[in-house]
Amino acid sequence: MQTSELVQLMKEKAEAVQAVVVKIKTMKDAIQYTVDLTRQQGGTSMVAMGLETQDMNLLEAACKTADLTFLKPPLRSHANGIHTALTPVDWGIAETGTLVLDSSSEDVRIATMLSETHVALLPASKIKPDTASLEDKINSVLKADASYYASITGASRTADIERVLAIGVHGPQELHILIMEENQE
Amino acid sequence: MIKTAQDIKSYKKELKEALCDQFLRTALDNFNTAYRENRSAVYEGIDFEGVKKEIAEGKDAALPRLLDLFEAFKTHAEAAGVKVHTAKDAKQANEIVAAIAKDNNVKKIIKSKSMTAEETFLNDHLEKEGYIVTETDLGEWIIQLRKEGPSHMVMPAIHLSRFQVGDLFETVTQKKQDSENIDKLVKVARKTLRPAYLEADMGVSGANFAIAESGALGLVTNEGNMRLVTTLPKVHVALVGYDKLIPDLKTMLRILKVLPRNATGQAITSYVTWIKGTVECSASPSNRKIMHVVFLDNGRLALSKDPVFAEALRCIRCGACANVCPVYSKVGGHKYGHVYIGAIGLILTLFYHGKENDRAIVKNCINCQACKEVCPVDIDLPHLIKKTYRAVLDQDGKTPVKNVLLSKVLKNRKLFHFILRNAYLAQKPLAKKKTMIRHLPHFFEKEHGFRSLPLIARTPFRDQWKTIHSHVVKPKHTIALFAGCAVDFFYPEQAAALLKVLQKYDVQVEFPMDQTCCGLPALMAAEEETAKEVALQNLKAVMSEKYDYILTLCASCGSHLKHNYPKIFKDAYLSPENLKAFTDKIIDVSSFLVNVLKASSEDFNVAGGKVAYHSPCHLCRGMQVINEPRKLIELAGYDYVKSKDEDVCCGFGGSYSVDFPEISAEILKKKLDNLEAADAGILVTDCPGCVLQLRGGMDKRGGKIQVKHIIELIDETKI
Repeated sequence: MQTSELVQLMKEKAEAVQAVVVKIKTMKDAIQYTVDLTRQQGGTSMVAMGLETQDMNLLEAACKTADLTFLKPPLRSHANGIHTALTPVDWGIAETGTLVLDSSSEDVRIATMLSETHVALLPASKIKPDTASLEDKINSVLKADASYYASITGASRTADIERVLAIGVHGPQELHILIMEENQE
Repeated sequence: MIKTAQDIKSYKKELKEALCDQFLRTALDNFNTAYRENRSAVYEGIDFEGVKKEIAEGKDAALPRLLDLFEAFKTHAEAAGVKVHTAKDAKQANEIVAAIAKDNNVKKIIKSKSMTAEETFLNDHLEKEGYIVTETDLGEWIIQLRKEGPSHMVMPAIHLSRFQVGDLFETVTQKKQDSENIDKLVKVARKTLRPAYLEADMGVSGANFAIAESGALGLVTNEGNMRLVTTLPKVHVALVGYDKLIPDLKTMLRILKVLPRNATGQAITSYVTWIKGTVECSASPSNRKIMHVVFLDNGRLALSKDPVFAEALRCIRCGACANVCPVYSKVGGHKYGHVYIGAIGLILTLFYHGKENDRAIVKNCINCQACKEVCPVDIDLPHLIKKTYRAVLDQDGKTPVKNVLLSKVLKNRKLFHFILRNAYLAQKPLAKKKTMIRHLPHFFEKEHGFRSLPLIARTPFRDQWKTIHSHVVKPKHTIALFAGCAVDFFYPEQAAALLKVLQKYDVQVEFPMDQTCCGLPALMAAEEETAKEVALQNLKAVMSEKYDYILTLCASCGSHLKHNYPKIFKDAYLSPENLKAFTDKIIDVSSFLVNVLKASSEDFNVAGGKVAYHSPCHLCRGMQVINEPRKLIELAGYDYVKSKDEDVCCGFGGSYSVDFPEISAEILKKKLDNLEAADAGILVTDCPGCVLQLRGGMDKRGGKIQVKHIIELIDETKI
């Protein structure tokens, strides 16, 4: 499958599980999107994990301008006060709209599990057609040292009351996926 | 604490109460229909049968080497900092978990959903030891607050309405709740439980997979609570059954294709998480998670070596066997299992929670085969349920009077048929010149009165045979008719119709006189020896090279001959080739007319009229005949009208409808409601048992739909 087809499939499948999928071009777009989203949702705080230092600085500045608290690791003490978490992810799986993310770092886990809104940054080149094409990669992680490896598909959900689907239980209430099509610039 | 009825009398009383729960019934009935409708969509593009076989083979290959897999897992996990424990039973498992808590100065424990922890009653033990335990899965939290057990393996609180949950949350939060709004109720759990994750010193989870080659656990979840339970506290304990051990990631990914699809109709759950070793955790003094994995035996290792029951360990806890079960949908999980519920629960209860807890519930299988069809790991659940029933009887060392009589009578064909002939005389005063018995005499309990009953024929088919059969000069085929008791003694007119139709197609029909009951009723009563003995009588009667086919008008007899006889004679009497030659000959009437005789619309007078169809369990699932009857209805010039849930059981189930009349009546009611909604004048089906149930129910409610065996419909229009 071509990258454009993978992006399209990834978008369709992720949207089918109530994720919001947006195509972006640059890191600046991602920062702008995340800050605007947080403001729209009435959030007041944000964290980012796994960004390059220069992007981290850009985000911090953007937060300041937008009057958002930019939280810094360690995150445990902020655990119940994170509105938005911005994190890159390692892989996308198009057939199910799934994100794959090494979450061995405690701060990555806290950010992606306890935030109200998780904004995931997915380079288009990292989208694989199916789980089977990631098997070797997952295996090499699992066979190495201790790890906490996660696949995430849509926001947290339940149907435990009368089988009615409700989104946003214990994990993030919204999942936004920013697909970065870096090669097209 | 869960209490399950330990004798049939109190069980029936509880069933009666459960049937009065209107919310439960409506909710589960809707679920049963919706689940089956959604499931086909989510399996689009997946070769379910192929994947299912692969998983079953993989599981079967792993079972004999569970201890090797365990050693490999342990080596890899301990190299990554985990302490691996083994527990021989529930008590020991609970003690190990409590000791870990004590060693780490734990006060509060947070839990994510684990059927294995339910199995060991872990919470009860930990609370007795003074720990505060909080369940965090929404459904589990609800039932923990209500002090109940789960009523479903995937949706533990499916038996409760939003209003019951709302009332509960009002008590817990001391605040007014908007019970209409499920989203808001879910948020109550989110908000209330958030602080608990941070306050807890220990998180307890289960696991869906323990991967031997890497020492990683695999967990499949939706709500996100398990991720918090395994992340925030300093200690993580995973309680895992030995049956969760798998060799490699490939196996896990294969099972992942079916687990979420079968469990919740999702292609994949929100979260799939692999946890290996002691990852970073700032709540721990060493900054690494303190991680323990406790493997629970509790009978699994012995079970893995059992020639019959090992198959049950393939179970991946998807819960689908309950979702499609017509009995579950009437009485709910609290009355359809002990800790483990649904078809697999009726089996596992004996092994994990003892015969006392299985004694009554194990009888409550109608044998419709719906669970077997939906099972993603190919467990022959109805078969194992009967085997379990046998094991319970053996362990109890008692044989019910009914079983003694059944065996005595069935083994002796002449006695059996003598009784049936004489029953004709006994019923005469009840029938009062009618064709059906509408009012049962007083010595029957009133719950049996939900359907009118057919009269036993004045002259059974076997006694009519001499006068009505004819000789075909140049037969295209010679077949043996296996009539089955219901056709022979209740509905000889169905066999007579068959003779008329087949004569027109130049088919020579023979009726081997020594045939007797197929033996299914004996197998349903777990009387395996009797089932074998009558099966042998039948084989002797109908196995002959001169017959091209062995045709039956009864789907239950047909599927029993085709699929259970090979199991009965697996090790003796017939070679596999001869058995196959026998079972290949078994055919139902629709398949015979459509596929063998190539019936065409020119063979029939155009009669017209709307005809609905009920697909007998033992035809569509037992004999895998789906299209032929529907095609035949159309070939015969009728408009086939689809009705809802055509392939759901009618509630007959042979002696089931006598043992559990109220459940049978409820299943029948839904069936008849669906049929009446379809607006057809005639209903056909191809099993005399279903005819008995549906015609009797229709008559009792004064319905307008005529119920016929498909061969009667064909006979009416065959030129």
